[in-house]
Amino acid sequence: MAELQPNALCFGDEFPASGMPCLVQIESSGLTVTYALNHGGAESRSESVRFADVSVSAGGLNHDQLVLQWVGAAGQRTLYLKNPDVIRAFRQMAPDHMSRPLEQAAEQVRQVRQRHRVVWGLVGGTVLAVVLGLWFGSDLLVELAVSRIPAEWEQKLGESAYREFLAGQDVMKDGPAVDAVKEMTQRLASQVPNNPYRFDVTVVKSDVVNAFALPGGYIVVFTGLMKKAESPEEVAGVLAHELNHVLQRHGLERIIKQLGFVAVVSIVLGNPPGLGGIMKQLGIELMTLKFGRAQETEADMTGLQLLYQAKINPEGMITFFQRLAEKDEGRVEWLSTHPMSSARADHLKAKLAEMPKQQAEPFSFEWPKVRGGLGMSSSSAP
Amino acid sequence: MKSEILYPGAFPMARVELGNGEQIKAESGAMVACSPTIDIESKMEGGFLGALSRKFLTGEKFFFQTLRASRGAGEVLLAPTVPGEIVVLELDGVNEYMVQKDGFLAGGDGITIDSQMQSMSRGLLGGEGFFILKISGKGMLLLNSFGAVHKIELKPSQEYIVDNSHLVAWSTTTSYNIEKATSGWVASFTSGEGFVCRFRGPGLVFIQSRNPGGFGAWVRQFIPVSE
Repeated sequence: MAELQPNALCFGDEFPASGMPCLVQIESSGLTVTYALNHGGAESRSESVRFADVSVSAGGLNHDQLVLQWVGAAGQRTLYLKNPDVIRAFRQMAPDHMSRPLEQAAEQVRQVRQRHRVVWGLVGGTVLAVVLGLWFGSDLLVELAVSRIPAEWEQKLGESAYREFLAGQDVMKDGPAVDAVKEMTQRLASQVPNNPYRFDVTVVKSDVVNAFALPGGYIVVFTGLMKKAESPEEVAGVLAHELNHVLQRHGLERIIKQLGFVAVVSIVLGNPPGLGGIMKQLGIELMTLKFGRAQETEADMTGLQLLYQAKINPEGMITFFQRLAEKDEGRVEWLSTHPMSSARADHLKAKLAEMPKQQAEPFSFEWPKVRGGLGMSSSSAP
Repeated sequence: MKSEILYPGAFPMARVELGNGEQIKAESGAMVACSPTIDIESKMEGGFLGALSRKFLTGEKFFFQTLRASRGAGEVLLAPTVPGEIVVLELDGVNEYMVQKDGFLAGGDGITIDSQMQSMSRGLLGGEGFFILKISGKGMLLLNSFGAVHKIELKPSQEYIVDNSHLVAWSTTTSYNIEKATSGWVASFTSGEGFVCRFRGPGLVFIQSRNPGGFGAWVRQFIPVSE
């Protein structure tokens, strides 16, 4: 006899628990089951079963297999069919009295599938709702949390980070550049009503064109930024921006948002491997980006206002961003925490145009001297 | 193709003899040693998309290694990463097994490996994730476990309850429901079991005598916390 090609598994008392591979053939009166008694099926035994003796149901892990049961000469038999051709043949040949149980089994399969679809849909919808809720509703929650944290806590937090940062830096202790930055900060800070912060500005010797603010009023300006600036108003523009990060408590908002978001995502998703993990990381990054950019724009706008109130020419802030924009080309705005400098400059210009014109008051220091103190020639060319 | 388990127990190794031209696929990194007649290739089982879905969905490896006796008969030695037993199953084309993601060690050439999505409750509470491997086809299958492997044989309609994190593989003729370990929610978790799987025969369920997650948590307490 040719090698047996089993298409079903049969369970019975004398068969192994993993099931006996068998070949099921459907005929008009019933089915013939041929068991492969040894590996390869060189030796086999057949059993014929009448349709009348068979009961049908759906079974298996996903309820997608047709289960036939009967009591034969050798006891209870349970046959698992999953080959679609065999199932189709069985449904065609089965007599009328079996069509009802067959239909019931098919209905059971459909119900299980339907239930899976509904559950997945519900869960998908819930996840989407939570994500959207977080995206749009989180700002309010964060503001609420931030408003409950006293400024002293913020100061302590900022101070430790500040000390740690400065320990590894070359700090400029005095000189015209330090005095100039102090004067600008003084003038800006005096315009803030009910200011709970004592601003502490440090000039750090570094060629990096940057400045940053830590929670609690700690501000660091790099000499690289002052060298890049062509007028004191430009430096004041950046300072006004950083001061507003402090006043709007952006650092704290950011910490809370990040912590909260990561906590929520971790609770919902756990620590999933593979795609889940990547989605989680991506979600956190996107959230950070979106949040960062909203803060930058806010600090720009309030910074502009502060410059105006302190009677410092706000044009400086705009020209500085325009100069930075030349470096920006080729950057993708969507992937950056900072809005593009050219877009920022345009935005600021539009805002400035809405404000009434006023006469700016000059600073008491001399800009060429400040530049000299930075080790640059006193001409204003960079 | 003949296989033999060397050093059975906690640190076993599988020795597979390949005839000329025969090949076996194994989890990437499973090969320990082999005859010089064996060529090692990496292959994306199931094509690029299949490999991608397996990698992302089940956390299994993107590449499998194929060990082919292309220059004459030879043998390969295979071992899993974790300490634990290796079991050999013979698939005959009709029986299929669901295997949790770390359970696959190697399979003959006629074995097909798919990643399959589980139902929501099984995915969320079953402890194997939403996607597991479905292994079908014809040939030899090597599974590995954490700890020893215990085989549970279920007769039709016979039931058995297994802690979800101890599952290794189960036949597709079985079905299971996830349920709380005890009737109350609090007691379910304080008993240390949480959720369990109620399996219903017929078919085989392979379980491992140690729980990898539980072991990880136990080890974690001895790892010094660094800044």
